[in-house]
Amino acid sequence: MNKRQSRVFAIACTGIAALAFLILTLDSHRQFGKLTNAENITPAVTAGKDVWHDNNCINCHTLFGEGAYYAPDLTKITQLRGEQYLHAYMRDPARFYNEQTHRRLMPKQDLSDEDIANLIAFLDWVSKVDNQGWPPRPILVTGASIPGTDLTTSQQAHPTQQESAGLPPGARTVTQGDDPIALGQALFRSVAPACNACHSTAPRVNLAGPTLAGIAARSEQLVGSAEYKGSAKDALGYIRESILSPSAHIIPGPMYSANGQSFMPNTYEQNLTTEQIDQLVAFLATLK
Amino acid sequence: MRYRSQAVAYWYFAVAMVLFGLQLVFGLLSAAKYLGPDPLLYILPFDVTKVIHTNLLIVWVLTGFMGATYWMVPDESRTELHSVKLAYIQLGLWVVMGVTAIIGYLFRWGTGNKLLEQPLPHKIVIVIVMLMFLYNVGMTIKKSGRFTTTEGVLLLGIGSAAVLYLPALLHYENYTVSIFYRWWTIHLWVEGVWEMIQGGFLAYLLIRLSGADREVMEKWLYVIVGLVFFAGILGTAHHYYWVGVPQYWLPIGGFFSALEPLALVGMAMYAYGAMRRSGLAHPNTLALHWTLGSAVFTLFGAGLLGLAHTWPSVNKWTHGTLITAMHGHAAFYGAYAMIVLAMISYALPSMTHHRREQGTAIGYWAFWLQLAGMFGMTLSFATAGIGQVYLERILGLGYLDTQLKIQVHFVMLIATASLFTVGVALFIWDFFRYAPRFEVTTEVDPDMRMDAPPIPEAPRLA
Ligand code: HEM
Ligand code: HEM
Ligand SMILES: [Fe+2]
Repeated sequence: MNKRQSRVFAIACTGIAALAFLILTLDSHRQFGKLTNAENITPAVTAGKDVWHDNNCINCHTLFGEGAYYAPDLTKITQLRGEQYLHAYMRDPARFYNEQTHRRLMPKQDLSDEDIANLIAFLDWVSKVDNQGWPPRPILVTGASIPGTDLTTSQQAHPTQQESAGLPPGARTVTQGDDPIALGQALFRSVAPACNACHSTAPRVNLAGPTLAGIAARSEQLVGSAEYKGSAKDALGYIRESILSPSAHIIPGPMYSANGQSFMPNTYEQNLTTEQIDQLVAFLATLK
Repeated sequence: MRYRSQAVAYWYFAVAMVLFGLQLVFGLLSAAKYLGPDPLLYILPFDVTKVIHTNLLIVWVLTGFMGATYWMVPDESRTELHSVKLAYIQLGLWVVMGVTAIIGYLFRWGTGNKLLEQPLPHKIVIVIVMLMFLYNVGMTIKKSGRFTTTEGVLLLGIGSAAVLYLPALLHYENYTVSIFYRWWTIHLWVEGVWEMIQGGFLAYLLIRLSGADREVMEKWLYVIVGLVFFAGILGTAHHYYWVGVPQYWLPIGGFFSALEPLALVGMAMYAYGAMRRSGLAHPNTLALHWTLGSAVFTLFGAGLLGLAHTWPSVNKWTHGTLITAMHGHAAFYGAYAMIVLAMISYALPSMTHHRREQGTAIGYWAFWLQLAGMFGMTLSFATAGIGQVYLERILGLGYLDTQLKIQVHFVMLIATASLFTVGVALFIWDFFRYAPRFEVTTEVDPDMRMDAPPIPEAPRLA
């Protein structure tokens, strides 16, 4: 090969690849609308995108896995956390996480309630984009898809009375001043027996008990349907009933119940205060 | 220095050195925040230090490219620059752009679009500076009438880099579409046109340092460019896997980006082959270290570590983790930091007083400390990233819980980054400790040596 031929090689390679790339780009434009549900890009979504950019969120978080690696991925966050949770969190992250235990804290951003609502609309649009099913497993912010993997075995063996002893290093100790949702989240892993010993909050992860991801929406549906056997009138009522009298309505499946009796302990009614139950319900109702 | 106007390169290099040092300060600050808690949470949070870190990187590397081009073009075309004044105005404008952008970031004035955070006015100035630069270099070559292939590849690389920056100036309503075009700039820069720039400098340095035959070197340079674009253009799709674009980009991205290392293997063989065949024709062995080092470290950081996570079935798990940071550091350093440092090391002895042509002892320390430090940083990001992928992505442990479990790797990151920083500090010290000297000397141009073959294909322009 002489120099002239090698030049022709360079030009041909570049030309062919560029042409193919441009054709595929055109075809992608044909499909963007459908894949991204472009008709759902409402003014709120657009405004939320601007809030996202203005606050430089991408330089701590990732979205679609792109950004910085200092804070969790938010692609599917609205499918894991409900609107109330996200609202309360963005108003003041310090009420949910503690910089001493987590060693990182999101600085409070200067956001109005409207900014937050728009941001949630934007993130919700993002979560529904058809992106080849990524992530392959849910990416949680804290906790674990498989309960207990965030604890040491000795912590699991000796869950002591001391409030923080049974908590994984990633969980903060809460104080009464915290948001009721945050308090409920802490109770979820600290009551005895701990809810998260049997229930995951990650979608599709069923353990001794069914996953509680999406419990709010599912309760809504269930209460209105004919198969519902209990006495609750609405979703919140159903969640409360499931904690207080687990057998009032049975989720089908031989691993969950036998002879009309749920395997879930029925001791919570006695052991928890009304306030604690309220907090647990408040937390569970945010699990979209 | 054979031409008086090559002196402008010195000032470009000096600016690059200062910005390189600053880049590391903000890198170390960012890494310290991984460990936390952060006393600067409300003064200088992570997002600000990280933006400044990556933007300084881009600005100093481009400053280095421009300086190195102003050094190389007079040598290649055997003439003075068209306008020294224009070159200084360009540098001034560039520095003002860079400094105001960085100050703006401190107040969160930016677009919030990764790596393209420059506000619109700054982006426009960047384009203007690029045009001034291309004009100046173009006129120089036109006046001289001597246009070598090495120069051609370099200029085409710089020109295309300017063109590919244009999509970044547009506004996109759909976030997915804006991601799609963001990669036309970022990916097609680092895995396309910037590799042409690197290839151009590499060819220049190898011809000068080893005395390799220009005809042969330039022939292979074309082959490398062909391979870069054959794989690199469609390889863009390795950023399209999970962002809301059609499914067919998955196999295309996997296949073509897996071919990308071919060009990098080619480049390393090219450098090694030139040395083996032609030996050393120049006393500057330090510049030679940087030149070969760049080719080899690119193969490692971009080729090997890029390949490691470029296949869709792997990237599905590693996407958006510290694995990306591992690769980003090693690749950027090997390909673009080291090639600029190679050009500086080559040019420096003839621009300063009393400097040993072979390179100083401090210069060698700088080389080896940086190499060891960057290798250690790459390993730290890698071990942290592997831990993160297994715990967070596969096992399903929460993000924050996982980060707490991989703290030890962040300690390692800071330790090795400090080693690296010492290496860079020595390089900067070595750069500034001899006063500049801008005298024209009569070194022998390797192309003009008695035994060098004539240059048949340097087309004369009108
Ligand atoms: C003292 C040395 C350095 C330290 C401690 C350091 C640290 C960091 C940190 C903590 C990040 C943020 C990663 C994240 O998003 O979470 C980062 C990003 C980055 N740094 Fe550095 N860095 C250093 C030197 C360098 C050098 C020398 C280069 C290139 C030549 C470089 C190129 C980059 C790039 C390209 C990114 C963006 C990576 C990505 O988003 O994947 N850094 N660095
Ligand atoms: C000198 C050449 C290269 C440089 C400077 C470079 C630099 C980078 C940087 C900075 C990123 C992070 C970008 C972002 O997230 O915004 C990145 C991502 C990536 N690079 Fe490279 N790269 C180079 C070559 C390669 C090659 C040759 C391959 C494949 C063989 C490759 C594969 C990848 C992949 C797959 C990602 C995406 C990682 C993810 O999923 O987050 N890179 N590269
Ligand atoms: Fe890429």
